[in-house]
Amino acid sequence: METMHHTVSAGVTYLFAAVLAGMILALAMEEKLHAKKSIIVGVFAVSSLLLASIFGFIPFGDVIIPGGLRLHLPVYIEAVDWEVIAIIIGSSLFVDVTSRSGLFSWIAIKLTKASGGDPLKLLWYYGSMTVVFSAVLNNVTAMIIIGSLTGVSLNKLERNNLLLGFLLTEGLLTNVGGLLTLISSVPNIIVGNTAGISFVTFFLKASPYVLLATIATLLLGAKLFKIQSLKSESEQLAAADLIKGFDENDGVRSRRFFWFSAIILAAFILAIATTSITPVIRDLGMGFVAMAFAVIVLTRFKHDVNEFYQAIDWDLILFFMSLFVVINVMEHAQVLALIGQGVAWLIGEGNSGTGTASLLISSALFSSVTDNIPLSAMLAKILSNLNIANDSPLWWSVVFGANLGGNITPIGSASTLVAATIIHKHQLKMSFVDFVKVASPFALMQIVMATVYALVFL
Amino acid sequence: MSQVDQFESVFRAAVKEVFEYRRIDIANVLIVTDLEAEQARSFKDVVAGFLRFPVADTERQFFVISGDEYKTTSDLLELLASYSPDLICTYRNLHSDAWRFPHSLGEHLDVILQKIDIPVMVLPHPAADYQSEHALQDTTDVMVVTDMHAANDNLINYAAAFTDPAGNLYLTHVEDVRIFERYMDAISKIDVIDTELARKRLGEQLLKEPDDYFHSCAAILQQHHPEMRVNSLVIFSELVAEYRRQIASRKLDLLVLSAKDERQYAMHGVAYPLTVELRHIPLLLI
Repeated sequence: METMHHTVSAGVTYLFAAVLAGMILALAMEEKLHAKKSIIVGVFAVSSLLLASIFGFIPFGDVIIPGGLRLHLPVYIEAVDWEVIAIIIGSSLFVDVTSRSGLFSWIAIKLTKASGGDPLKLLWYYGSMTVVFSAVLNNVTAMIIIGSLTGVSLNKLERNNLLLGFLLTEGLLTNVGGLLTLISSVPNIIVGNTAGISFVTFFLKASPYVLLATIATLLLGAKLFKIQSLKSESEQLAAADLIKGFDENDGVRSRRFFWFSAIILAAFILAIATTSITPVIRDLGMGFVAMAFAVIVLTRFKHDVNEFYQAIDWDLILFFMSLFVVINVMEHAQVLALIGQGVAWLIGEGNSGTGTASLLISSALFSSVTDNIPLSAMLAKILSNLNIANDSPLWWSVVFGANLGGNITPIGSASTLVAATIIHKHQLKMSFVDFVKVASPFALMQIVMATVYALVFL
Repeated sequence: MSQVDQFESVFRAAVKEVFEYRRIDIANVLIVTDLEAEQARSFKDVVAGFLRFPVADTERQFFVISGDEYKTTSDLLELLASYSPDLICTYRNLHSDAWRFPHSLGEHLDVILQKIDIPVMVLPHPAADYQSEHALQDTTDVMVVTDMHAANDNLINYAAAFTDPAGNLYLTHVEDVRIFERYMDAISKIDVIDTELARKRLGEQLLKEPDDYFHSCAAILQQHHPEMRVNSLVIFSELVAEYRRQIASRKLDLLVLSAKDERQYAMHGVAYPLTVELRHIPLLLI
């Protein structure tokens, strides 16, 4: 997209930079403000648009679309990346409908039974499942499914003393799993889309790291939380006896829908993975694929689709739309160019290792205290404006930093926040500081591993 | 409702009670009567003819206590302790003529049922004429009455043991419809709960849990008693009226109930009214 910039004075740029800083600060204080993200960013979107209009640097006018047609689109419409919105709405509808089939709970219970009730096996199975579910679904849904199963199964096994360790390890693994594919997390979608990284390339580059980080996290989790295998035969028999009461088929109301969901899920992953190389679909994009699959699965519920529409996370959607508007204004106000100078200084000339490492670590630190979505959206835009090639490790610095930074604090990512919520639900005490103390060895290890990986392999 | 609650509900519902089979052996049976010695021996013969199952590993021994061997409940408890049988067979209102009225079990039986951990079979009173025609003939049709918590392996194992191996074992759970309606009435006054949805889902869930457990029982019992027909009945109804109907329509030979309640000294809330009112067939109280 070509962008025409009006001349903006330094004073105006600094004013808008302050507005952006105010929004990031407000997002970091979301809990304290007791306001939803969409409201916080919505207020900033409205204010910044008004201010931009007053200062007169927003280019109003018709938009020329392919084919030469001129369309009158409001500025707050053309500012939004609708591909990202379509991917999010389509994927969440698709996941919501398919999860009604009992497919994910079936997999989760099957693995629970396969563990025979052994705590260490259970940690490895649940940990691996967290990573896979985070990659296929989204981090929050994965944490909700695995976290709630963990509470029920450890209670059944009379191992509630291990609950905190399990939930924390799983919470920290959601952000590792969120790195696996292009659609596993929102920063991946934004950065991947901006850089033009295909699904397959993303997967091939990210998966070795995800595998190593998962193994390392589980080993560290087992060690720090003292999660061990059952030693005596009597313990093993007792655990197996307790676990045999799980019935994986209980949540499966229709065998037909169950198998339909399993097949359509595989088809969805395949279609998303091959979007960039499939003729016709390639031009329609990933958003179309996600929406098309959502429509296909919704046909099963024909008249009852309203309950799925109601379940859409409108806070997230409106948050995104507002965020895109704010970023668009900031671009016109030259704020992104100003930050870009800082980023350019940080990353240095060319593809220097120091630049890659600095960008990754600073992204991680920023996303630990504020939302990683505006951070990745802003950095993606800046890297794009700096004409960084799509095979540069700098894109991966943003991806790794934005995802893994969420593991430093409980507010760093939505899935760690869910983990903390489940921890509190089970009356386990864990303050913000406690979380940081326990999670920091994991986060440090994962970030160091990511930095080395980005420097050596990407 | 949060998604965490939703998935927790899914997983909690997936955790089911699994029945565990245990063989029951009844080697020594003690018959407690308030009759004279000779009448007591005749009563013993009736009981011995009735109790053909479970088949004991060794020849079954029957001991009889006649009316003149005890006066007070303490005397009786001491006597029972000296025999330590596997099963006690008796009837209601020992040393009393209150058996004519369907309102009590009598002081001796009330205490025995709670003080002693041995199963007690309560038989129709030998002097009464209200005994069913088919009573005390055989144990072809046996019905288990589960209480609020349906999963009770011990109860099912005893019931299966007493059932004729080629007979019918009925596993039943009756949710008291009046209690359910009382809760539904309260729910109908709460604005944030969809009353119809609550009625449908709560009703289904209350019946599903015992039903799942009975399926597990049937599958395992079939392995040990291949000729026995294990049936299950899980419904909403009025407790006493329903079991009265079941006894009459199915010509039940034995009703098996749980009498103990760890939280109280008195007999279990479900068992007491049934034991008092259902006087015309034998009842096995565990």
